[in-house]
Amino acid sequence: MSEATVTLISSDKQKFQVSKKVAEKSVLIKNLISDMNQDDDDDDEEEMNIPVPNVRAAVLQKVIEWAEHHKDTNFPDVDDEDTRKSTPVDEWDKKFLEVDQEMLYEIILAANYMNIRPLLDAGCKIVAEMIRGKSPDEIRKIFNIDNDFTPEEEAAIKRENEWAEDR
Amino acid sequence: MKQDDDDDLVRPFLTKHIPVANNTQRLNGPAIHSYCYRHNPDIKCNKDADQQRMCSIQTSIDKLPSSDQKAISNVWSVFSAAPNSQRILILQGILSQCCFHQLSFLSSEVKELVKIDFIGTLPVELSLKILCYLDCASLCNAAQVSRTWKRLADDDRVWHHLCKQHIDRKCPNCGWGLPLLYMKRARSGKYSSKNHKDDKMKITPVKEEEKGVGEEEEEEEEEEEDHQAKITPVGTDAPVITNVPSDICSSSSKLPSLKRPAPNSSKDLIKPPVAKRPRTRPWKSVYSERYKVERNWRKGIFKIKRFEGHSDGILCLQFNHKILITGSYDCTVKVWDLKTCKVIRTLVGHTRGVKTLVFDDKKVITGSLDGTIMVWNLATGTSLSTYRGHSDGIMSVDMLGKTIVSGSADKTIKIWNVETRTCHTLRGHTDWVNSVKIHGPSKTIISASDDCTIRIWSLENNSCLKVFSGPNGHIGQVQCALPLTIHDTIVEDENSDEETESPENRAAHNDTPRTNNVVASTAIASVENSSNLVNSQINGALPSHILSCGLDNQIKLWDVNSGRCIRTQFGHVEGVWSVSADTFRIVSGSHDKLVKVWDLQSGKCIHTFGGQHKASVSCVKLTDSRFAAGDESGMVKMYCFDDLEDDEVWMGNEPQS
Repeated sequence: MSEATVTLISSDKQKFQVSKKVAEKSVLIKNLISDMNQDDDDDDEEEMNIPVPNVRAAVLQKVIEWAEHHKDTNFPDVDDEDTRKSTPVDEWDKKFLEVDQEMLYEIILAANYMNIRPLLDAGCKIVAEMIRGKSPDEIRKIFNIDNDFTPEEEAAIKRENEWAEDR
Repeated sequence: MKQDDDDDLVRPFLTKHIPVANNTQRLNGPAIHSYCYRHNPDIKCNKDADQQRMCSIQTSIDKLPSSDQKAISNVWSVFSAAPNSQRILILQGILSQCCFHQLSFLSSEVKELVKIDFIGTLPVELSLKILCYLDCASLCNAAQVSRTWKRLADDDRVWHHLCKQHIDRKCPNCGWGLPLLYMKRARSGKYSSKNHKDDKMKITPVKEEEKGVGEEEEEEEEEEEDHQAKITPVGTDAPVITNVPSDICSSSSKLPSLKRPAPNSSKDLIKPPVAKRPRTRPWKSVYSERYKVERNWRKGIFKIKRFEGHSDGILCLQFNHKILITGSYDCTVKVWDLKTCKVIRTLVGHTRGVKTLVFDDKKVITGSLDGTIMVWNLATGTSLSTYRGHSDGIMSVDMLGKTIVSGSADKTIKIWNVETRTCHTLRGHTDWVNSVKIHGPSKTIISASDDCTIRIWSLENNSCLKVFSGPNGHIGQVQCALPLTIHDTIVEDENSDEETESPENRAAHNDTPRTNNVVASTAIASVENSSNLVNSQINGALPSHILSCGLDNQIKLWDVNSGRCIRTQFGHVEGVWSVSADTFRIVSGSHDKLVKVWDLQSGKCIHTFGGQHKASVSCVKLTDSRFAAGDESGMVKMYCFDDLEDDEVWMGNEPQS
């Protein structure tokens, strides 16, 4: 018996055939599949088409690439906040997420929408690393953000946050 | 002619697509954002740069002949009108024609253009999730980026998370921990004497402390209720209080003669008297307040308060947020106001030096070299009762509920039940008993003696459960032994175990009660009736460690389960009279006139305070933001690492560093 597959359809109507196991890295899809199976047990052989309307093809392809790679990874229990927080981003994930900001942005949104906790964690950690240890000016540069404070406000807010500057 | 042809081609294309495209590129399908990030009218960030770009494009194109202008404009119009798939197609065509220097131009331009304000534009829960991965310094920088960033980086949820990670524990990520600051909470009038609890040095496990500090408001409320419940039935000198705001409650009942410190009371008064909900503070300020204290500890920035008045050496001291109580060779006990450094009252009655004391919000219990234990009313200073029974001086007392425990130079420990007026004597030490501490959760007593041993006794059946001595033990008289429950990983000495077991063996020993007994056999050998049953019954609640100091100049940390001394801290050059510890630190006072502060986890000495004391330091007491040390010359100094308020009396001392 060959591996069960499902077809994911991106927002721009591209089809991706993936193994069920890979698709189920997404809790959203996992639940969808189990719901569908409950509805019609007798029709197991029918091909499953699952639309992923919020994710465009290029992003969905990345997400699938990630899921394929982690097909056999056992991720630690999601409830252990401390462990999840302290685990550094997996080296492969780090490389995988070396993409432009637009792609990273969409991967985070897709991981959130598709409920892929480890990918969402990795994406958010990567963004956090872009911010960590940077001055306000550097942060503005990195993300192209306008400084919308008045000079007076800026000075006041700087004073308000000075306590954290030296350890 | 050529131009017209082009027009003929362009116009139908535009008519076909423009109504749909509506001049702004929309992503196909029902995307989360119907606009792409760059063209979303709600996102301001790129617009300024775009404006400049448009201007420079305008000036460049103005220089061209009009026919060229029209041709180029047509290219743009077509692209602008094209739907996404066709735009990609157009770009692919253009890219394939580009020379390398054009591609290079593209790549550098694109890098600048594809920048997204993640924090400002992601769904709020994701932005907060990202911010929760950051440290406090990065968060403070993030708060200075823009208005949106400030709102998110200052969000209570982020700082609550950070507080939970750091307060009263070492954060598993960064190894930083912040003090609980009971004292601070005390000042806002919600404090119901934690002094005794502090004495036990209870280091709460993570889950408890989430309740503890985590939900400050809730716990404070509980405490209030608790407090009122306690006050109403007692009512010795306090009026029966019902439905009175906690501020009045605490100031009138606990210490009628003391005024609450000014800075916060004014704030509290603004609160309507019936207000049940205590005011809440942003978690960021909760965090920063503790952060400053922690930094002061780390850098050794403190102010000193001096308490002068005893006519002979200090033997013991205890303090809470308002008062300091000292016992001296001059036979008296003095109660001091922490703020003014003045004596509030002197308790007279002992006929020899007062060696030991404990107190709670109602009473002071003192033990003296005259062999008696006295109980005093804290509010009035009158002596309530005297306990006689020891045949030599009292070296140490402790209390828990209705139980008083005393250790004496007559080599015995006595357990006094205040209610039933009964007394049990624990025999086993072969020399003076210098220290007794009750460990509440396990109902045990930890004792330290001149016979160089430390013992754990059961309060319930009065038997000795364990003896701590052996080849790694103290070789001098043990002055102090404190129960500690430590959850962080402790740095142990290498080869602390002389039996040189392999790690596997060691683990096996600890796991099975049978072999565990073997390890501790050297220690337990001298104990009669130390049954395994008792041991196993009580093990769960026992403290994990015992901290001890002795006249062999050493401070030792013992693993209670194995009975081994796992760490010895060297540094004092003469006997160590006293130690005190909390979740993060140990403070020690020695005959060498030095006070040292140590890191609890690593055992490293962080600060040595020399020159502050002109005589040997006989007693020390640590809280999360201060410690006090009393010396043989009769001087007591309090080292304050908290926020160093200016309105207090500092005896002309500048902050030291």
